[in-house]
Formats: sequence, C-alpha cells, structure tokens
Amino acid sequence: MKKYISRNSVRTLVAAIFTVFAFTNSLNAQDAANGAKIYKQNCAVCHASHTDQKLTGPGLKGVFDRVPKPADAWLTKWIINNEKVIKSGDPYANKIYNDFGKAAMTVFEGQIDEKGVADILAFLKGPDPAASAAKTPVGGGADSTGDNKEKPSSIEPIYLILGVIVILAILIGAFRSVRISLQNTANRAAGEAEQEEVTFGEEARRWASKNSRLVGVIVIILVGAGVKSCWNACYNIGVYYDWKTQKGYKPEQPIKFSHKLHAGENEIACQYCHSSVEKSRHAGIPSVNICMNCHKSIQKGPQYGETEIAKIYAANGFNPKTGVYENKETNPIKWIKVHNLPDHVYFNHSQHVVVGKVECATCHGNLKEMTVAEQKTPLTMKWCIECHRKTEVSMEGNAYYDRLHKALKAKYKGQYDVKFTVDKIGGLECAKCHY
Amino acid sequence: MKKHYKSIKFALFTAMTGMLMAGLTSCAKKDENSPGVEFMPDMYRSPSLEYYSTHTVDGDTAQTAKTPVKGTVARGYVPYAYENTPQGYEAAGLNLKNPLTLKSREEYEKEGEVIYGKFCIHCHGATGGGDGKVGGKLPGPPPAYNGTLKNLPEGKIFHSITYGKGSMGSHASQLTQEERWKLVYFVQKLQGPKEVAVDSTAAKKEIAPAKK
Repeated sequence: MKKYISRNSVRTLVAAIFTVFAFTNSLNAQDAANGAKIYKQNCAVCHASHTDQKLTGPGLKGVFDRVPKPADAWLTKWIINNEKVIKSGDPYANKIYNDFGKAAMTVFEGQIDEKGVADILAFLKGPDPAASAAKTPVGGGADSTGDNKEKPSSIEPIYLILGVIVILAILIGAFRSVRISLQNTANRAAGEAEQEEVTFGEEARRWASKNSRLVGVIVIILVGAGVKSCWNACYNIGVYYDWKTQKGYKPEQPIKFSHKLHAGENEIACQYCHSSVEKSRHAGIPSVNICMNCHKSIQKGPQYGETEIAKIYAANGFNPKTGVYENKETNPIKWIKVHNLPDHVYFNHSQHVVVGKVECATCHGNLKEMTVAEQKTPLTMKWCIECHRKTEVSMEGNAYYDRLHKALKAKYKGQYDVKFTVDKIGGLECAKCHY
Repeated sequence: MKKHYKSIKFALFTAMTGMLMAGLTSCAKKDENSPGVEFMPDMYRSPSLEYYSTHTVDGDTAQTAKTPVKGTVARGYVPYAYENTPQGYEAAGLNLKNPLTLKSREEYEKEGEVIYGKFCIHCHGATGGGDGKVGGKLPGPPPAYNGTLKNLPEGKIFHSITYGKGSMGSHASQLTQEERWKLVYFVQKLQGPKEVAVDSTAAKKEIAPAKK
C-alpha cells in the first residue's frame, strides 16, 4: 500500500489525510465504505484484505504491486471474469491459477458491476479496518484476565493443626520442667526431700492409671472416630469427585482449551465438536479436522495468542503461513479423559441425550463457565440411581408407549402412584448397565 | 500431687483431638490432577483396548484408534458423486437435487433448524446473515443467505457443506448426508423466495464453466 502511494508523489503529499487522498483519486470515503461492504459480502471469505494471510485465495496486501500494470484495469478485468483472463493466456493470471491448485475464483460478472469493482479497489487502497479496530480493546480480554486471577491460597488446615500440636508439645514439656523445678524449690525451702526423678512416660502412665475411666472414654472416642474416618475414606475410592468440597477430577490438558471461550462466549453448541453424542455411545473427543473448521482461519486466541493454537497445527501438520497441510509428520493430541466410568459399567450417551433429552450440563456441569474441564458430579452408582428414581419419563409424542401408557393409567387409576419415572421401566435393573 | 497433672490432662486431650482432626482433613485433601484411589483396578481397566488410548506392540507404542484399511466403507455410507473441484461444484449446482421427499418440506425445515442451531448458527447467525459469534472473528464473515447467496442452488449448498467452501471446512464428518439435506431445506428457507429474473442469468453463468 505504502509503496504504491510513494510512487505517486502528488498523492503522497495529500495521503496523510484520508478524505483528501480519496478526493484526488476522484473517489470519496463513501466509495471505500461501499467497497468494504461489497468486499465483505463477496471477497472476504477467500481473501484477507490488508494482510498476507492465505485463506482460500491470496492475501491482498500489496496486490497493486504484484499484478500486471496498469493494476486497476487488470484487477477490474480479473475480478469481473477471471476465467476470461486465464483463457486469454495472460501469464500472471495463469501463474496465480496454478499456484493456488487451480481453485477457480468465482466469476462475478452480472453480480458486481465496474463501479462496484472500483469501490472494492478504493477500499483495498484505503487503510486496514482491522488496524483501527485493534486499537480498541477486544471483548474477551477482560474475561481472560479474570481467569488468571487466583484466589490467595489460605493455609491448609492440616498444617495449622500440626502447628498447634507442636506448640502444645513444647508447652507441655516446658510447663512440666517449670513445675518440677518450682516444686523442688518449694520442697527445698520447706526442708522436704526433693521430688524423685520420673521420666515423662512414667508420669503419664501413672496419671493414666489414676484416671483410667477418662482415658478409656478418650480411647473409645478416638477409635470410633478413626473407624468413621476410614469408612468415609472408603466412599472416595474409585470416585473422582470430592463429596465434601464438590470438587472433581480436573486434569491439566495438553492444550489449554477453554470451554468457557468456545461454548460460552462464542456460543458454539456442545454437539458441534462432540458430534457423536447423539449417534453413539460416546460423546467423542473431536478430531483435529473439526478444530480446523475454524482454526484454519482463526490463528490467534484472545488469551494465549498463537502458542496454544499452534499445538493443533503441530498435531496435523498444517502450516498456518501457507495454509497447506505440509508436514507429513502428525502427532495425535493426547487429551486426558475427565469423566471416567469403570469398565464394568455400560453408559450410552445417545440414549440419555436423544431419548431421555438430558441436558449436557445435568451431568457435566456448566462447562460454559469452565476454563479447565472439571468433573462436577460424582458419577457413582448411587448418583445414577437417584436420578433414575426421580426423573419422569416423558410420554409426549412417544408412539411406542403412548397407547399402552394411556391404557394402563386408566386401568390403575387411584390404585398406584402414576408418576412414571425411569426406574419403573427398568432403570434399576442390574443388567441394564452391568453385563 | 493430683493438681499437677491437670495441665497434662487438658493438653493431652487437646493434642489428641487435634491429631484426629488432622487425620480427617488429610483424607479429604484432593489433587486435581489425580483421579484418586482405585480399588481393584482390574474392574476399572479391562485388558481390552480402550478408545483414544495407546498400547504396546513388541515394545512399540501404538495408537488404538487405527485408520481403517484402504477401501473400507462405513456402514450406511452413501458415496457422493461430485468431486471437490470447481467443476464438481458447478456440476452439483446443476444436477444435484434434494432426495428427501418422504415428509413435508415444513417438517424437514423444522428438523433442519435443529441441526442448524448446533452446527451452523455460531458462524452463519440465527437468520443466516453471517453474524454469528464466531463468524465475526473470522477474517471474512460468511456471506448472507438472503444476500450474496440468495440464488445458490440446493446442489451447491449441499456440496459446500460436504467439502467446505472458502473459510468453511468440511462438515461431512459431523453430519450424515440425510442431515445435510435437511439443512439444505432450512438454508433455503433462510434464503427466502428466489428472485426469478436473476435466477435465469445465474443459471446461464453456471452452465458456462461446466462445459470446460
């Protein structure tokens, strides 16, 4: 762009002020604005306007220097009907056509007239709209800084208690020696014999035998509490979730993928990436080609910039600069599974999501607010069964159960509880999940 | 003598309660990166290979998910006749017609709308104007269905979903052909009624490259 202006010395003088620049070009800002609109609708899908980035077609930075002169006339011909230009044997047109794998550009004849093309060219000569937009803070920045904030970690209670115990032990020892020496001084002053030397253990033993009832109660309490804590600890075996703190397994993933950004801010449906959730037993971890549906073009994230997205490219051999899958060496991303069920449990996603119409968040928590995916429910058998006991089966529009249900409801009216929950249709059968 | 032991009695009691509490809290502490304790791991992890994992063959680590043998055809797979080339795109626009005719158009549109809400809306926007949340972050937002793409024939819509077009990637791995055709119905609804006059010229233009 700048080079182009510099070659036109007259223009250079006035180029500082955009409106004047536009005026000398017998164009005005309105033309550029109109051009921007046409560009956005027709060209932007395949061409980056003011950068080198290759989308389907080349980036248009410096396009006026590249194409045969006079650039405006050539570009007008090319934009309106590029096939004609290629067929006419134009060497540059054929070179571009072959460089981009013979992916033909749309013929715009009849869709954009010469005035429209002139407007597009005016827009391309104008300043980069993204550069001015970049000056204003982009949304999402505020949220991302919010994620970085970590709560100041309070002292773990266990260290607090250990500290208290150590201080108590020191105090007991100190008080004991003080007491003994005081007693001895008092005895000496009274002319009595000094206290006999007793070890701490011996003294404690004597005290214990004298207060055997109290010691017995303490021992019973301690043993009882120990058994209870072991019992409680057993509840956590094989459960990747803490009942007390309601915190679950939250492993660090190989890519700092944020569900909050993708599903929350960008409002991408869960099923877009986990597309097998409605068709299969597994919700599925998206294959990299699904990431690439967007990240072919979006190469920079709001929080980690290019580093995290580059890991996708490292996985599939994509070169973001050329826009081609160049690297033959690919490395699968080793995502860590968060929600685990033991191997002896059968669980089917499609059954729950399609038939049961269970929302994703019911079992997985509100991932739209999680930067790191975390297990938010216990995923234990008790938890499954509780849900099966209270979830009512919808009979609306279910042709299979419709008539039967109506008939049975009429037949047993007043005799039975007519609340129709999952457990009533076999939701508690062992073999439904364990086989 | 008894009164001398009072301090010990109190201290001992406090210390033991403290130890007990320490023991309890240490059980409750949890490492976020660790899945926790497993009892009888054999019942959690069977010898059969899990999806998305690795296993060792003769000392080498191999991926459990394999690329199917060349020529494998998935169950229910219907081949798609048009190639991913500009010629294929034009040919699809001319010849490819929506095979879904069993139900009424309105029913398919409704089903298509549900699929659209999951797979398209974040870029193309609720009304197909290209104003979705992700669409705004792309270098070029998707063109509007009732604007630039108003007269796009159904075959080209299907072709674009199948292979991708411009910034859009292929959605063939996420959507079956039937789902894609349902989407076509809904996209056509978003396109609105076709402009008949422009339609004829558009058709002519499409014929020209197909002749090549």
